[in-house]
Amino acid sequence: MNLAHIDDITGIELADGFVWRPVRRHFGIKAFGVNAYTPGASGQIVEEHTEGQLEHEEIYLVLRGRVKFTIDGNEHELGQGQLVCVRDTSLKRAGVALTDDAAVLAVGGKPGEAFEVSAWETWFAAAPLAAAKKWDEVIALYNEALAERPNHAALLYNLACMEAQAGKTDDALAHLQRAVELQPEFAESAANDEDFASIRDDPRFPH
Amino acid sequence: MSDGYEILTLDEVETAEHGGSNLIPVRYLLGFRPAGVNAWIADAGGQLIPPHEEDSGDEELYVVVRGRASFVVGEETQDAPAGSLIFVPPLVHRTATAEEDGTIVFVVGATVGEAFDGGGWDTFAVAYTLQRTGRMDESRAVMEKAMADRPHSWELPYNLACLEALGGRPDQAIASLRRALEINQEEIYDYLREDSDLDNIRDDPRFQELLK
Repeated sequence: MNLAHIDDITGIELADGFVWRPVRRHFGIKAFGVNAYTPGASGQIVEEHTEGQLEHEEIYLVLRGRVKFTIDGNEHELGQGQLVCVRDTSLKRAGVALTDDAAVLAVGGKPGEAFEVSAWETWFAAAPLAAAKKWDEVIALYNEALAERPNHAALLYNLACMEAQAGKTDDALAHLQRAVELQPEFAESAANDEDFASIRDDPRFPH
Repeated sequence: MSDGYEILTLDEVETAEHGGSNLIPVRYLLGFRPAGVNAWIADAGGQLIPPHEEDSGDEELYVVVRGRASFVVGEETQDAPAGSLIFVPPLVHRTATAEEDGTIVFVVGATVGEAFDGGGWDTFAVAYTLQRTGRMDESRAVMEKAMADRPHSWELPYNLACLEALGGRPDQAIASLRRALEINQEEIYDYLREDSDLDNIRDDPRFQELLK
């Protein structure tokens, strides 16, 4: 049986201090977005964000402990078996754990469309590897995501960031160029992105 | 709270009966659109998840929110305390029983590569439960609202016809069957001939007319 306890799914602590438990990746689920979160050092459990870009409708269900959610500026303390469904994608949402044992399940997707794995799962998964400068593993994760979605501009842009830091100049420039072709706004981002410091003077760098 | 979000406490929701289990109709209540989301509640020894396979092709993830459950997936049985996550591919047989009072299992399901289009079986579970407990006006309101949201579904007016027939309202049942037949001419006839929910109107000449 494909059963795992939430604590058995290895967590990745992200910069904001929350711990991502990659439920969807763990089981290889492809039909819907599902993840779990536990608090990290800062007590944050759901990072503050909107769904303006992905347009995902979301549910956050408290599996354990107590969590203070702030949705659209309103605070709600929820316990085990309580959920908040955020329909309006523009609303700012965040959660802070009120108890150390807190755990939240998140479910999301864009209404009316077949689920596609969100690109952020790749940057979340790659974050600790990038911090440890394990570039080959980071690049392998990006290539795995790009195999499914070869024309995802943000994935290509972020891969280029990683390759630039890894000293893989040719690959970085090729992927950055492709990202800019797909989404010209990335040229502006690249101009100010410190990840590209090592390749910015190359004549191939897109402007 | 604003219109843009909603809070739900699972064990405060009025449950509906489905397949011998107690459904907490989360998707129905929230109108959640990206995936099927529901929950089940039972006391120790009670059936949590009706035994079934997902013929529709849905991948499903079961999450034990509270208490403890015993899951049977395929030939395997496993103890699942709160915090357990169980993934089940579409065609594998599954069921679960509560091992503690007030055990709650939350479930998410959808089909790979398809936009989710919910509002069938769980809406029916709510409407049939209301009908069985003598709340036909509420049952009808549930179905009418669902029909407004999903005008392409023949299953909704068909099931409303069943509910009206069960409730002894032949005129309304016939009218609703006509509505269903306007949407779909193919699949309905097999049901019409066999469905015991329609026995109350089977001898009605207007029903006989529809069968022709």
